[in-house]
This record gives sequence, C-alpha cells and structure tokens, in this order.
Amino acid sequence: MEDYALVMKDVCKDFKVLNRHEGLKGSIQDLFSRDYKTISAVKDVSLNVKRGEIIGYLGPNGAGKSTTIKMMTGVLEPTSGEILVNGKVPYKNRTENCENIGVVFGQRSQLWWSLPLIESFKLLRDIYMVPKNEYNDMIELYKSLVDIEPIINKPVRQMSLGQRTLSDILAAFLHNPAIVFLDEPTIGLDVSMKDKIRSLIKGLNKEKNTTVILTTHDMGDVDALCKRIVIIDKGTKIYDNDIEHLKSYFGSYRTLHMRLADDTWESMLIDEKETDIMDVIMRKQKETKIKDIRLEEISTEEVIKKIYEGDAA
Amino acid sequence: MNPRKLLALTRAGIMESLQFRLGTFVTLFANLIYLVLVYYLWKAIYASSGVDVVNGMTFTDTMIYLILATSLFNFLEMFVVWDMSRSIQSGKIILDLLKPMKFRRYTFWSYSGSHVVSFFLTFLPTFVVVMIITHGAIHMGLNLIWFVIATVFALLINFNIEMLVATVCLYTESTWGINIVKETIVLLLSGASIPIAFFPDKLKTVVEYMPFRGVYDIPLTILLQKNGSDTLEGLLPMFLFQLIWIVILTAAGTLFWNYSVKKITVNGG
Repeated sequence: MEDYALVMKDVCKDFKVLNRHEGLKGSIQDLFSRDYKTISAVKDVSLNVKRGEIIGYLGPNGAGKSTTIKMMTGVLEPTSGEILVNGKVPYKNRTENCENIGVVFGQRSQLWWSLPLIESFKLLRDIYMVPKNEYNDMIELYKSLVDIEPIINKPVRQMSLGQRTLSDILAAFLHNPAIVFLDEPTIGLDVSMKDKIRSLIKGLNKEKNTTVILTTHDMGDVDALCKRIVIIDKGTKIYDNDIEHLKSYFGSYRTLHMRLADDTWESMLIDEKETDIMDVIMRKQKETKIKDIRLEEISTEEVIKKIYEGDAA
Repeated sequence: MNPRKLLALTRAGIMESLQFRLGTFVTLFANLIYLVLVYYLWKAIYASSGVDVVNGMTFTDTMIYLILATSLFNFLEMFVVWDMSRSIQSGKIILDLLKPMKFRRYTFWSYSGSHVVSFFLTFLPTFVVVMIITHGAIHMGLNLIWFVIATVFALLINFNIEMLVATVCLYTESTWGINIVKETIVLLLSGASIPIAFFPDKLKTVVEYMPFRGVYDIPLTILLQKNGSDTLEGLLPMFLFQLIWIVILTAAGTLFWNYSVKKITVNGG
C-alpha cells in the first residue's frame, strides 16, 4: 500500500435528487415533495495510482470525473467503498489530507485576486506551514522551469488567463504535495501557453516526484503528459491502461487517405482487424484512378471520440 | 491553532482592503448623509415630545449613540453570506474547503484584516469627530478598554450569526431574501437603528435575552457608561452575556456547519 499515492476500492457515490415537476403548479408541489430519486454518479470504481505517476483521468461531460475528484480530495464522502490518499481516508482527515494535496481548477483561481502573486505565495507558504528554506528552494526551482519574473509582482486580476493558470499551477505545487489534481488546466489557453503549461507540469512531476491526476478534454495534454489513462463513462471505469494500448485495444484503427483522379482527397477510418486495407484500395481502384495514398495512425483524440460515442466498446 | 497561519490571513486581508481605498471614502460619505437624516429625525422626535430627556437619554446621548452605532456597524459589517453564496454558486468554495484549516476558522481570519482596516479608516475618525464636537460627553478612561473588549466579543457574535445564516444558504442556494431578513433583524434588535432604551417594555424584555444586543448595544452602552456599566458590578453581567452567547453560537454554528458541509454538492466542473 505504501507505494501507492492513491488507492480506490469499489467506490460508489449516489446522489438524492428531487423529482421536479413542470410548470408553476409543479414548482409549488416541489416545495413539499418527498419524491426523491437516486442517481449513481460513480459506480464501483477501483483505481491504484503509484507515486510519481501522471495519469489522465478522462470521460465525457457528466461522466462522474468531478465527483471522483471531489471524493479524492475529501470534499465528498463516498456512499460506499474505500479511498486512501497517502494512506489516509480523505474525508475523515480533511485538514490533514489538504496539507498533502494540491489542486488546480482551470476555471477558478485560488489566488488572492487583488494582491501581487508573490503575496499569494507567501500567504500559502504560511497557511501550509512550509519552512523558509524549502519555500526558497521551490521558488528557485520555479525560476529554473519558467520565467516568473514578469508575473511575480503582478496583481492576479491584471494577469492574462495563461499567466493566471501558470500561477495557479505554481501555487498548487508550492507546499510540495504528494498528489496534485489538475482539472482542465489548459482550458481556454493558446497553443504556446498550453505547451508552456505542459512542460511545467512535466518538469515539476520529474523534480518532485509528484503524483498528478489530470482531467482534461484536450488530447494534446494527454499525449504530452500521460503514460497511463483511465476513462470513465456513466460512472463506470471502462478503460485503465497505457496510452499505447488504447489504440489497439479498441481495434487497430488507421486512417487511409486517397487522392483520386479529380485531385480530391478521400479519407476513411479502417479497422485492420476486420478489413484489409489492400482490399479497400483495390476496390477503389476499379472505380477510379488513385493518384496518391497516405496511411495515418489514428490520433488519441479520434480513439477517445469513438469510445465516448460508444462505437468501439 | 497556529498564529502563523492566522496572522498571515490577517495580513493579506489588510493588504486587500487597502486596495479598495475609494470604497472606504464612499462609505464615509454615505454615512454622513445617513447621519444628517438621523439628526433631523431625532430632533423632530425630541421637539415633539416636549421634554429634554426621553427614556433616560438626552438628545446628545441619542445622537452619540446612533452615530457610533452607524460607524460600529460599518466596522462590524461582514459579507460572509454574500461571499459564500457567490462562491457556492460559482463552485469556488471548493478551493476554500481544500485549505488545510478548519473552514470556519479560515473564514474568520480571512475577514479579520478588513476589520482592522475599517476600524482605523471608518470607526476611529468618526469617534474622534464625535469626541471633539460633543466636548467631553464621552468619558475618557477605562471605559475605552472595556469598549474594545466588548467590541471584539461583538465581532465574534456577529461572525457566528453570519456563519449560521451562510450555512442555511448551502441548502437554499439563494441568498438575497434570507440575507435581507437577517440584516433587518440584526439592525433592529441589536439597537443599531433605534436605541434599545426606546423599545416598548415587552419587546425590550425579549430583546434583552437575544444575542443581537451583544453586537451593538452592549459595546455602546459600555462606551457611554450607561446602565451602570461604569461599575464592575454593572460591567460583568454584560461581558458574561456576550461570552455565553459566543459559546452557544460557536457550538451551534460548528455543529450545523460540520453537518451541512457533508451534504453539499459543489457546483460545476
């Protein structure tokens, strides 16, 4: 158990939701209604994450990702099952657990809005009781990874979204937590900023051996950072393995592009387990002349899309 | 409880409040207008009563009381309910819940800095002005120290009331109405809008036992040395009253919060 930063065993989470009725009359009825239905947001999810691992935690909107993250951080209590973060039950030792985790929510900031970034850092240093020398080492490390000079004395409200996200990530790692949860850290950022953020996360993970749980809808993040991905859908875990396996797991898909006689490109996604690519080309050639052929490996994004849409399973 | 964490929060709160200097001046200006209104209103009340002393208070007493109540109100005013409902709706509350401190403690100390600033920028100037204008109607002695202690207690009672109402907002997810009701009740029953001495007897008896009196009426009574608060025998029951309510409200607030926070669902994400 000691080697794992995070252990989840058969974790379920149910929510009780009021059955709402339509219209004004319905709204009035709802005031007194005891008509609840139970929704299970997370069903029997088990997961082990080793120290220093970066895992991509993926799933379509509403799949139960945020609920899982909230249980891991101790904000929500699971209905049943066991969770251990750094060997402790998060919702029972909430304050203690918080000392050992860091969080970044791409759309929200934990920084003090009107103060310069350095003041937020100092405040977090004191709240997390980081010793002075460790704090200074961390700032040195930050300086070696990103150029923080232009933002360190800037009030957070004057920052661009990219600078703010960068600052939030630095703030989450400041107390050297064992696990950092990153929830859509690159949402709304430009290409070059995304790249900067990714290499920062990679650098911090390498230097500090921090476990990172990353949820994102950007497959670029996944390709750049994660060796292992976990996918959940409708509250159930449907995939948990290496990113390389993912492509072959749901069929060996490749994209075939053909340039036809009229110079237009035709593309099709082919599962090589079921269809022979040569057959397709030969069949096409009987119809028209093929000027050029290109074969492409399927991108992670396309695989994930197929999984979310339920084609592949 | 580690002072380093707490003082860091106070320090940040002071710096944040100082960013909004303009707001402080606007508050002072708004108070001025309010006080002009109060002045003429009570002048009319005293004129129509035909006597100099109404319910044991002279016109000057009443004015000093109400002016200081207003500035005390600005000093004690917290926006816990507003801020919390906003952070519940935006889901930002999760970031505060994930700080390695008890949420209530974290909230209290986050606000402490702004109280320090408003004490120096709104309460103290008003106090000095009142002192100069009334030429020594306010006694300068030990009562100032008792007043400061009573004000700190008042701050704690007020925070606890705010937190209780804010916790209710976890369930309702809407705040406006609840907060208006709370503000009206506190302002009326605490003696901030009308001195409690003016209340009808039956209402006065009820209000005497409620916590709201501990927020404005007790500190001001002590400052103005009314109701026997210039003696230790008169002072002790008032402090005891405040302390008992602090204990009750803190215990109730903590239990209610701990129970409620387990039930919350954090929006979005």
